[in-house]
Amino acid sequence: MPDQSSRVFTSFYTPRSLRRKTLWLIKLRWFATTGMVFLLFVGAKFLNNNLPLKNLILTVSVLGLTNLAYNIIAKRITPASLKLEMSFVRIQIYLDLILLSILIHLTGGITNPFYLFYIFHVIIASTIFEQKIDPYCITIFSVGVFTIMVWAESQGWITHYNLFGSSLSLLSILISIGVFYLTMFSSAYLGVTLMARHLKVKDIISRQNIELKKASQIKTNFFRFVSHELKAPIVAIQSSINVVLNLLGNDVDHKTADMLNRAKKRSTQMLNIIKDLLDISYDRQLGDSEPEKVIPGDFLMEFLENERSYAEEKEITIVENICVERSDLKLDKFILEKIFSNLFSNAIRYTPEGGVVNISTSLNDSNWSLTISDTGIGISQKDQKYIFDEFYRTKNAKQHAGVGTGLGLSIVKKLVDQLGGVIILDSELNKGTSITIKIPIL
Amino acid sequence: MSKKIMIIDDDIDLVEAMRITLESAGFEVIDAQDGVKGLEILIAEKPDLLILDVMMDTQDEGFQLAYQLRSSEKTRDIPILMVSAVGAQTGYSFDSAKDEAFLPVEEYIEKPINPQALIDAVKRNLPIA
Repeated sequence: MPDQSSRVFTSFYTPRSLRRKTLWLIKLRWFATTGMVFLLFVGAKFLNNNLPLKNLILTVSVLGLTNLAYNIIAKRITPASLKLEMSFVRIQIYLDLILLSILIHLTGGITNPFYLFYIFHVIIASTIFEQKIDPYCITIFSVGVFTIMVWAESQGWITHYNLFGSSLSLLSILISIGVFYLTMFSSAYLGVTLMARHLKVKDIISRQNIELKKASQIKTNFFRFVSHELKAPIVAIQSSINVVLNLLGNDVDHKTADMLNRAKKRSTQMLNIIKDLLDISYDRQLGDSEPEKVIPGDFLMEFLENERSYAEEKEITIVENICVERSDLKLDKFILEKIFSNLFSNAIRYTPEGGVVNISTSLNDSNWSLTISDTGIGISQKDQKYIFDEFYRTKNAKQHAGVGTGLGLSIVKKLVDQLGGVIILDSELNKGTSITIKIPIL
Repeated sequence: MSKKIMIIDDDIDLVEAMRITLESAGFEVIDAQDGVKGLEILIAEKPDLLILDVMMDTQDEGFQLAYQLRSSEKTRDIPILMVSAVGAQTGYSFDSAKDEAFLPVEEYIEKPINPQALIDAVKRNLPIA
């Protein structure tokens, strides 16, 4: 059975697509650097000349130089692994945050509205990293650095530079408002970019979905066609053998009749395999008519009435315990019939003469369940893992009953899956087998 | 006079198997390999019962023919046994609402054909007169 709990984490990125993110970051950083150079010019001319201009130029130069370095790395070195590429992006973002913090510190700390720019880093990080931990780490880092800086300035441990001087000039108001505008529009730009990307991906997925559905339909139709083509010759072979055996039976000698019977048995086996293959490929197609639905318990009783003779032939006692059903609870008849017939015929086939087969159903608020248990040959612990696999037959089963396609339980599994249900297997070698299916109800 | 049974099926080996079976039971057998030819012969020969395959040149040629026969005054009363390797259970879905409206065929027989079952079905569905 496929284990659904162990879902492997597959990345949204390839090393190459993550590299494109880096290039995007580099572009944004060039804009930021240019903007800051411009602001430094303006600031040096008009603003409080208390600002440590030298240190500011140094910091902006470091930013420009690191960006140049990233640019060279990004263009020259081919992306090797996703992990390495992710680390590259991480280094860039943390270095940016450190440089931003230094810039803010040098230009007035909490009095400088540029601290809003931390937000961009957080938004960008949230759109790049796939695991939630990274954006939160970046946020915590930003908040932490800023808090420490403000605290240290207020305590006088480090110098507090004053951006606007003592009076609230028009220019300082303009700068504050300008930064606010810039923050607003940049946030909008980031959000819009992100949404556009999201819509594009969604569009691609829905288009691919349609393609997949079409492909699956073509496959199913082809499969049905092939099955019919495979079936036709065998049907003709078996019908011919039947004619010889039934009508000319007395005229052919014992050996010939024996060989014809063997041929008939094998052609029956082949027909059963094709039938099972069709069942296992059962998939309601677009445009198919609505499935016929029946009350499972009532249908089960009807089914048992028709099939009871197989049990009687082997002197197997059938114990029925079918609960009262809800008249509004109906399930796909085709699927139920396949489930019943496979589980029931298995129970009869693998239970020695004189055994007991127990059939019970139960109903609660969330599930309809069916349990078929027998006193048969059982399934070893080792085999239990594989018995729902296609064409798997245990050694034990082959010895006990020659004919079988090895598809019965995989059909049951697949159909129960289609109904969103589960199968519970409980078996012990030489003691018996109990199979329970639980089908969720609305 | 022996009853005349017509078989329309594109698988000549199956036709042969059914022919031998039915002839051994004392019926007269005529056949055709497709729907168009089948209809011609059917109108000319007026069989007492028709054994009809579902899938021939197209997937539902048999159904089409059955519909045609049922809607014509002359052929309405000929009993039809439908033989098919693709029962309703095999994943094929025929439109059941449509089927009920025009396909009250007398009986479905699943291939491969069991000779005794075929003879029984034919006898069961022959008009009593």
